[in-house]
This record gives sequence, C-alpha cells and structure tokens, in this order.
Amino acid sequence: MHSPPSRRLVALGVALLVASSALLAQQGGAPRRTTNAPPAPSGPTPRTADGRPDLTGVWNALGDNLNGIPNQMANNGILIESATSARDLHSGLRIPVFPRNTTRPQNYEEGERAAALLRRVGANRPVYKPEYWETVKNLDHESNVEDPSNNCMPAGIPRAGIPSYIGQQRDHLIFIYPGQGGLIATQTMYRMVPIDGRAHTPLQELDGTYTGEGIGHWEGDTLVVDTWGYSANTWFDQIGGYFHSENMHTIERFTRNGNTLTWTVTVHDPDVLLEPWTSTPRVAVLNPNPKAVLPESLPCSERDLNNLVTKEHH
Amino acid sequence: MTPVRRTLPAAALALALAGPSAAHHSIQAQFDINKTITVSGTVAKVEFINPHSYLTVTVKETDGTVTKWAFEMAAAAQLRRAGLSRADRGGLKAGDEVTVLALAARNGSNTGLLQELKMADGREFKFTPDPTGN
Repeated sequence: MHSPPSRRLVALGVALLVASSALLAQQGGAPRRTTNAPPAPSGPTPRTADGRPDLTGVWNALGDNLNGIPNQMANNGILIESATSARDLHSGLRIPVFPRNTTRPQNYEEGERAAALLRRVGANRPVYKPEYWETVKNLDHESNVEDPSNNCMPAGIPRAGIPSYIGQQRDHLIFIYPGQGGLIATQTMYRMVPIDGRAHTPLQELDGTYTGEGIGHWEGDTLVVDTWGYSANTWFDQIGGYFHSENMHTIERFTRNGNTLTWTVTVHDPDVLLEPWTSTPRVAVLNPNPKAVLPESLPCSERDLNNLVTKEHH
Repeated sequence: MTPVRRTLPAAALALALAGPSAAHHSIQAQFDINKTITVSGTVAKVEFINPHSYLTVTVKETDGTVTKWAFEMAAAAQLRRAGLSRADRGGLKAGDEVTVLALAARNGSNTGLLQELKMADGREFKFTPDPTGN
C-alpha cells in the first residue's frame, strides 16, 4: 500500500492486521500476546562491579522479532490494546477500530493489505527535506525491489533495533542481531562497541559500513551508543523507504529496568532530513532462562522477488 | 506517502489479531490466492532457510522428461512443530513420494506456496490458516 495512508484508510476502511506472525507465535515457547503494549518490567536490575546496570543477556523473551507482535509493528508505534481498541503511542490519539470477522479464514489479500496499512498509520515519522519526498514515496512504492533488507542483506543500524544478545564487559559491549526471515529477510550482524572513552574516528576516514563505528558511554544508568560511518545502503526504519545518507549519525539509548530493555534511536542526517528523528521506544524482554543461549538464525537465500508480478508489498 | 508528520485518519478500521503467516514480500504479489495446483513427485531437496523454507520436488512427465518444482513453505519452526524436521522423526527427506497442494504462481513458473502435503504413508499436513487466522 503505497499512496497517502490517510486517504487509503478512509477510502478502504480495511481490516487491520496486527499479528501476521500468529503462526509463528507459538513457536518460541513464549506466551502468545494479544496486545503489543510495552511489557511491564519485573525483577531487579543487576549491576556490574563498577556499579553500572548490567545489560548482559539474551533479550528475546518476546520471541525474537516475530513472536507475538512483531517489533516491526511496535516500532511504528501503534498500541494494540484489544481487538477493538488501538492507539498511536506517539500522539496518544485513539484509532477507531472495529473487530474483524473471525467466523471465516482471513485470506492473504485481506491480511496483507491490512498489515500494510497498519505499518503506515503511526504518527511518528521522519521529516525529509521536500526535495526527497518523491524519492521516499517511490522507494516505499517499489519496496519489493528497493527495500535493502528484503533480499538477505543486513538490516543495518538502526533498523535492526534491539540486539537479541548483549555481552557487557567493562570496556566494551558485544551486540548480536540474528538474521530475520519474517517481514524482512536479513542476515546476522554483530557489533563490538567500546565504552572506554575513546573518540570517534574522523568521519572522512571511515569507509561506510552497515553497523558503522559505534562508541558507547554512560549517561547515568543509560547506555548511549553514538555511531557514524555508515554506508548509505540501508533504511533506518522498518518500512516507508526511509533512506539516509552516508553522513547519518545515530544516537541509541539503552535503559534496563528489571527484565526489560528500552531502546530508542535518534537519527541525525541533515543531508536528507529537515530535523533529527527519534523512534518510538521499543522494549525487549530478557529471556527468563538464565542459561539461555541465542539460537543460530537460519541462513538467508532469497528466491521470490524475481517471481513477483505486482507491486503489492508490506 | 509524503514523509511528513500527519495526524491519524479518522477512519473506521477493522482490527485483526491474527492472520496468515508473515512473509518478506506480499503473498498475493507472487501467488494466486484463488487458484491451487496439485503436483505429485519425488522430494529432491528440503531446505530450512530464511526467508522461506523450500521443498523441491521433481516430477517425471509422461514423455520421460523431468520437471523441477520449488514450493515455498512456512517458517522452519512451524514445520518442525508439525513433525517435519528430521527424517528419523517422520520428517521429509529426499526420495519421499509426495503430493503437494499449493497456491499457483502468478507468473506461470514451476513454483507454488505450499498449502497441503500428503505423504506416501498417508499422513497429511495442512498449512492453511484456520478460521481465526492461526
């Protein structure tokens, strides 16, 4: 669905699909969620010997990105409160809804179009310079072929969101982002983020990469990861054709509260954006098994895109 | 879509809490959701990969030629749950004779989206959503 979402929504009034991942929701052992409200924290926040919050752990208790409500949807800030109630997290506005017909199977057409609309209804959007509006629209319209994370390339930062594993040492952190095979098709990424007080390499000396040069520091109990040195080959949010330049500079904030980890990113890219954009907070939940290990993600081999006959997409 | 902030539409929207399995592309952009095909043949390859697992089936035509079909399958974990993981636990393996019911490819290629699978021993697996979309 690619035209102005408000007009489309009014015109169609179609069903919204929240959990296209329902089939997957039963796989990870985590309870299936019927709302995507940010999970409430529980338990203490562990600290390291030097008094910092310890972010170490496997942060996949919501079942990676596709169990329950996909992060891709939570990322766009639509709070699904029940089958009859939804709200925009960013603006607080209530979205009028009515329950869909559950007496018959929802076919692919209804489900997909509903999901495509849902992902575009959030109010928290980056503001591009006017000369790029057409570019963004076209990228979204042509996303079957243009989405850089649709053909097994890395999602990049910040699109990858919250890492599924964090290993925290005194002077660095390890982040692991498993490849995804759901609404996007990506390969595994890792980051090694120093927190030793070093300065960035001058931007002009960095070759752009998918995860950039990330350097962390603590602001109180919040880990701040400051990253630049990106390639321009990724989008910075899940949908919408949100491209960026190689001068993108991101500030991620990780805050642990008990068994939850809240993440936001602010994207600075004055080459293409009129103003910095800050994501709606996303929340990950720690795997309750203290002995949990992060499972291998499947290798990715994309074979469908050459067989698509329409531009319909998510 | 203009990339500017906009207020939410005051549209009446149906809200669904479940639906067909997720895919990295639109199902209907690739497959005809109203047309199925049935193919019987021999399993050549089972691949549990992202973004979709694949079942490759070879079909010997009446003229002796061999046609290869590639069927897109659900997520690997779903197949495992259905007992289609290891061959020694009843899973698929190369050489198995199967009949596949699939949504037809809209471009006429020898591909499809797996809906039902019948094994030679009589077992049947269905991958269509139930009435609640699960």
